[in-house]
Amino acid sequence: MIQKKVCMIGSFAVGKTSLVRRFVESIYSDKYHTTVGVKVDKKVVNTPAGEATLLLWDIEGAESEHDLRKSYLRGASGYLLVADGTRSDTLYKALSLQTRAEEAVGTVPFLLLLNKADLTQSWQIQEREMDALRQKSWTVLTTSAKSGQGVEEAFLRLAQSMMEDHNG
Amino acid sequence: MKQAGVQDALDPSSAVSTSNDDETMAELRTLLLGPAEKQIADVHARLTDPNRQLEEVVHVLPAAISVRSRRDGQLADALAPTVTSAIHESVRKDPQPIADAIFPIIGPAIRKAISAALSGMTQSFNQTLAYSVSVKGLKWRLEALRTGRSFAEVVLLHTLLYRVEQVFLIHRETGLLLQHVSAPGSQMQDADMVSGMLTAIQDFVHDSFSTAKGDELQTLQVGELTVWVERGPLAVLAGVIRGNAPHELREVFQQTLERIHLQFGTALSEFKGDASPFDSTRSLLEDCLQAHYDSQPKASDKPAKLTPLNVIVSLLVIAALVLGFFWLRGRWRWDNFIEQLRNEPGIVVAETGTRDGKYYLSGLRDPLARDPAVLMQEAKVDPNKVLSRWEPFQALTPDFVLARSKRLLNTPNTVKLSLKDGVLNAEGFASHDWVIEARRGSRFLPGVNGFRDDRLLDLNRVEDPLLMFVLDSAELVPGQSEKFDALVHDIERLQAQAEAMQKNVTLEIYGHTDESGTEERNATLAAERAQTVASELQGRLPRWTNVTVRAVASKEQLRNEVTEADRATNRSVTFKVIATDAQ
Ligand SMILES: Nc1nc2c(ncn2[C@@H]2O[C@H](COP(=O)(O)OP(=O)(O)O)[C@@H](O)[C@H]2O)c(=O)[nH]1
Ligand SMILES: [Mg+2]
Repeated sequence: MIQKKVCMIGSFAVGKTSLVRRFVESIYSDKYHTTVGVKVDKKVVNTPAGEATLLLWDIEGAESEHDLRKSYLRGASGYLLVADGTRSDTLYKALSLQTRAEEAVGTVPFLLLLNKADLTQSWQIQEREMDALRQKSWTVLTTSAKSGQGVEEAFLRLAQSMMEDHNG
Repeated sequence: MKQAGVQDALDPSSAVSTSNDDETMAELRTLLLGPAEKQIADVHARLTDPNRQLEEVVHVLPAAISVRSRRDGQLADALAPTVTSAIHESVRKDPQPIADAIFPIIGPAIRKAISAALSGMTQSFNQTLAYSVSVKGLKWRLEALRTGRSFAEVVLLHTLLYRVEQVFLIHRETGLLLQHVSAPGSQMQDADMVSGMLTAIQDFVHDSFSTAKGDELQTLQVGELTVWVERGPLAVLAGVIRGNAPHELREVFQQTLERIHLQFGTALSEFKGDASPFDSTRSLLEDCLQAHYDSQPKASDKPAKLTPLNVIVSLLVIAALVLGFFWLRGRWRWDNFIEQLRNEPGIVVAETGTRDGKYYLSGLRDPLARDPAVLMQEAKVDPNKVLSRWEPFQALTPDFVLARSKRLLNTPNTVKLSLKDGVLNAEGFASHDWVIEARRGSRFLPGVNGFRDDRLLDLNRVEDPLLMFVLDSAELVPGQSEKFDALVHDIERLQAQAEAMQKNVTLEIYGHTDESGTEERNATLAAERAQTVASELQGRLPRWTNVTVRAVASKEQLRNEVTEADRATNRSVTFKVIATDAQ
């Protein structure tokens, strides 16, 4: 069985913990959940490139470039960059976090998740920003930890890329 | 040639010619290097001659082995596969030599193993038994119930000095789990997650608190558990320990980690998430799963030894306490019972005590007094444990005199008896027969000196008023008004008494006829006569609620008609008084 370390990166309250919870336990809590300290969750996934055990690291203090520690990212085979679609500043934050992450672990697979897709009313991310992202040829998914939309797919796609890397 | 030239030049024996030069050179060489030449040749031979090399190694091998073995375990590690395969090979070819070789030790080894196992068993059995009867043991039993563990397991946990319950081998860079072993019976979490968490926590501590480079988290305390972390360049070894492990155990951890680095160095640096190459680290990690138990319960914990004598003594004490309780309770109930008997009217307690393990009791009892057996039952005294003897007697207290009078005189409930200064007083109303009988009987009642019935109505006065009627007529014979007045008066008395005694009274008035006349005529006549009296009475008496008057025709002749007087008597009315309890 292949194990892979995956890190959750993104601004405060974008839904990193909720996404992991959704993926790992398939439950969602509307209660405000501030990650306290450290949480490493585990989930076994099946990808066309093989089965993998994901170890999902979700850590308080992965929220700004200053706090994002090398040790947190060290050894990660991939990461999920999370932004809150109702707060466009979190998207810009995600961009700078990505630079920092690449410095730390090199070019490993990652996805950008625009979370809280269920809150269409207050959605802030415009076509203009989306175009800019597409230019970067990033994989961008919209997700909702609340409805579950896109969550499974996000983790699976990341796992798939990591396994393709693994197999060479 | 250049070399030859030099040689020549050095040769003292050659001065001119080349051959001379050669000789000179050889001479010079002998002069200069003479003593060393042999040594060089010797060294040369040592380096090239296999026989010589063999000799050399043979010479230092034992010492080398012993020095290296003292230094570390690598030699053994290196030799182990060879030795193992050699033994395998040897056994495969011919098992006999090895069997012969270990024959002298195999017997003792087995004996030792068996006795060790047995003594371990006895010890744990003794311990379990010892703890079974102590207060602590009771607590542990509750704990066992609560946690669902077996009692033996709880005892072990508490007598545990330390036990390494789990060992994690973690890839340093990724925090991913390479291998995990756990002691049987220890609680298991998801080792993959624990591995990640442990790494994350270490990183966190390192990043947050470390001052100097190389300061690392070494120990983590979680309740009863301690986590020891040993760090190598490529892998981390973490042991979860219950209790207090000695420092020497850390060295075991360190050596294990070093060995793993040595044997799995490449696999560790090339690790990409596939832990299968580390399957073979299991046995190394299992060496770290050590445990040590406190074989002797501490002196302060020591429960009283469970000797037969102790058991008997405690059983006796318990039995004595139980019996004592019952005895005391029995005694107390008995005393209560006697006290009650003494206060009971009509009972005189003469003697009480215990004899032959039973209570005895004797005294006098008026037959009208309460039954002592019932009193005994009320006092919860076991009748089987009591011998009692009662002599009948007649109590002369007013209560008993009165009660006895009521009973012996067969007193109807329309009569109220009372006793005053030894004189029995009757009130109310009763049949003539009873009045006569009571007057007579009262004279024989103990404690009764007289009988008064002036307030008692003899019902005869009402029931047979001797009112007579004119022949073949419903009219009263004239001149009976005095008799009628007396009747009214008596009925008034009856009413008053009945009211006082809460009785309702029905006065049935029966009309009678003589033998003359037809039956039909007589029936009419009887009804009319009864009605006449009833009407007359109702005219004279107030309307009472507790007195009812009914007129009834009777066919009965009061007496045989022999004379005209008999016939006149039969033309009359009689009364019947029926008393019932008022609601
Ligand atoms: N409506 C909505 N709320 C979400 C979603 N994901 C997270 N939240 C809420 O956003 C808040 C922050 O989530 P959390 O997972 O703690 O964010 P983290 O700080 O990135 O770990 C919480 O109140 C969540 O309930 C989502 O997909 N939809
Ligand atoms: Mg969080």
